[in-house]
Amino acid sequence: MNAQSARVLFRRQLLAGGRPRAGAGAAERGQYRCLSCTARQLQQQQTPPKRDGTTHFGFETVAEALKEQKVRGVFSSVASSYDTMNDLMSMGIHRLWKDHFVRNLNPGRNPLTSGPSEQKGWNILDIAGGTGDIAFRMLDHASTINHDAHTKVTVADINPEMLAEGRKRALETPYARSPRLNFIEANAEKLDMIPDNSIDLYTVAFGIRNFTHKEDAIREAYRVLKPGGVFAVLEFSKVNNGLFDAVYKRWSFSAIPLIGQLVAGDRDSYQYLVESIERFPSQPQFRDMIQDAGFLVPGQGWEDLTGGIAAIHKGVKPA
Amino acid sequence: MASARSPSALLGTFRAASHRPATAWRQRCSYHSQEYTQPPPFPPAESAILTSALSHVPSYGFTADALRLGARDAGYMDVSTNLLPRGVFDLINYHLVTQRLALKSTVQFPSTGDQGKKLGTGAKVRTLTLARLRANEPLIHRWQEALAIMAQPSYASTSLAELARLADEIWYLAGDESVDSSWYTKRASLSAIYSATEVFMTQDKSKNFIETEQFLDSRLGDVMKMGGFIGALSEWADYTAHSAVNVLRSKGMRV
Ligand SMILES: C[S@@+](CC[C@H](N)C(=O)[O-])C[C@H]1O[C@@H](n2cnc3c(N)ncnc32)[C@H](O)[C@@H]1O
Repeated sequence: MNAQSARVLFRRQLLAGGRPRAGAGAAERGQYRCLSCTARQLQQQQTPPKRDGTTHFGFETVAEALKEQKVRGVFSSVASSYDTMNDLMSMGIHRLWKDHFVRNLNPGRNPLTSGPSEQKGWNILDIAGGTGDIAFRMLDHASTINHDAHTKVTVADINPEMLAEGRKRALETPYARSPRLNFIEANAEKLDMIPDNSIDLYTVAFGIRNFTHKEDAIREAYRVLKPGGVFAVLEFSKVNNGLFDAVYKRWSFSAIPLIGQLVAGDRDSYQYLVESIERFPSQPQFRDMIQDAGFLVPGQGWEDLTGGIAAIHKGVKPA
Repeated sequence: MASARSPSALLGTFRAASHRPATAWRQRCSYHSQEYTQPPPFPPAESAILTSALSHVPSYGFTADALRLGARDAGYMDVSTNLLPRGVFDLINYHLVTQRLALKSTVQFPSTGDQGKKLGTGAKVRTLTLARLRANEPLIHRWQEALAIMAQPSYASTSLAELARLADEIWYLAGDESVDSSWYTKRASLSAIYSATEVFMTQDKSKNFIETEQFLDSRLGDVMKMGGFIGALSEWADYTAHSAVNVLRSKGMRV
């Protein structure tokens, strides 16, 4: 979208008095890539949900089976403007967080210091890996820091459009056609195609808050990891300073959806993203969920990044 | 620099951390070895990995490699070292804590000494300090690396707190029960002496570390003579800061 139409939209937005009521702006937004419309259509076509529960879609309560569809919709909608969205929500620092996340996990087996061994390289599963952001960093780190040419990453995502975006971006890396990188479509809550005890490192960056049944996903992670394997989560979290929290909430709840509308012509998706962050469990709660699944946690269980805007949680499957 | 023995920033931290009335300190700290209810200091998986990792320190130093080898020995994998949030510092800290707690059982005082005399508190402090220093022997050629890591800004306060705990443990095991104003002085002097001697020991080539023992004795003698601990303390800070900087430099850091 060019600057002028953004400005027009912005003016219209102001005239309309802030947030459009649900449905009111649908026709107008239809001309842009519109995920909330997709979501709404899906909602209409939907057969009755199998599980008889409800869950949260942002602050909306929806039937559980619907959430998966809705989330799929959100990410189809934002797939290509994805970086912009991450920049907005992390105030531009998500790249640094991802660098830190990967460096700290230190993926790869250094042949210079490891000595001979049956196992070459790590088997990494990057869940909700969509655009390949984490996967490329992992492979770069393994290759350049640890001189490891064997570590493999499987990128799994529920959304084919995100995977397509990832495959496209992979073409600009050395890994595009190498056996070290592959993409699969999968729901984190049911990883039937991944055998038990087969993974060294399971990562999920900015994905788990979108899962309908987080406990199921953590249980699956535990199942697929080898004993001693590591579960690592990078996710938006709870800001731990009152004043900063107030400022950040203000920013995320009012500015981000508006900017989302300007950049992607899609306010509701961004509204959902902001709300899903707010709903995500606090650091100690999430740590407890990881422990409840059987993992050992390092130290207090998490590391806050930038005052808690994001946090890294880790669990180690006991050997 | 050698003459600049004014209290450094490091000292500032140390004083601030320790300048509590003795009783409050005692209540707050539940680390005395006599407390049987205290949980083991490290969970089983961490202990297993770190214990094995320490056995690799003589050949690999305080490095991520030692940690990885330790993890493998303990039935874990390279990636499992993520269980240690502070990496190599966790390895150093493990050595410090376990050796402090081991003093209670490694040093036993007979109720009467050789000549049928009871061992004085001072003699017990000396014995305990020496025993703790000797526990560094297997790693002594790697201990400068450890000191350099301990002096890094993010770990300095934890390291100083652990040093204070060691001094407290030694006075406690030596049977010192005073809660008067000398309480603080005793612990501060001992911390200083211990640190200076520990650094001295990393450079000691004498047989059976006899020079380290002499160094310790003359430090202890100084303190007894002057009753002063400030001098010893600043000397220690100076010494440690110097050697830390040198080690970091030797590792290619620009400091
Ligand atoms: C915010 S993106 C994160 C992408 C990438 N990991 C990163 O950090 O840039 C969230 C991703 O989670 C995926 N996702 C949502 N629910 C999922 C589920 N149940 N299973 C697998 N992936 C899911 C979405 O399709 C989307 O690609």
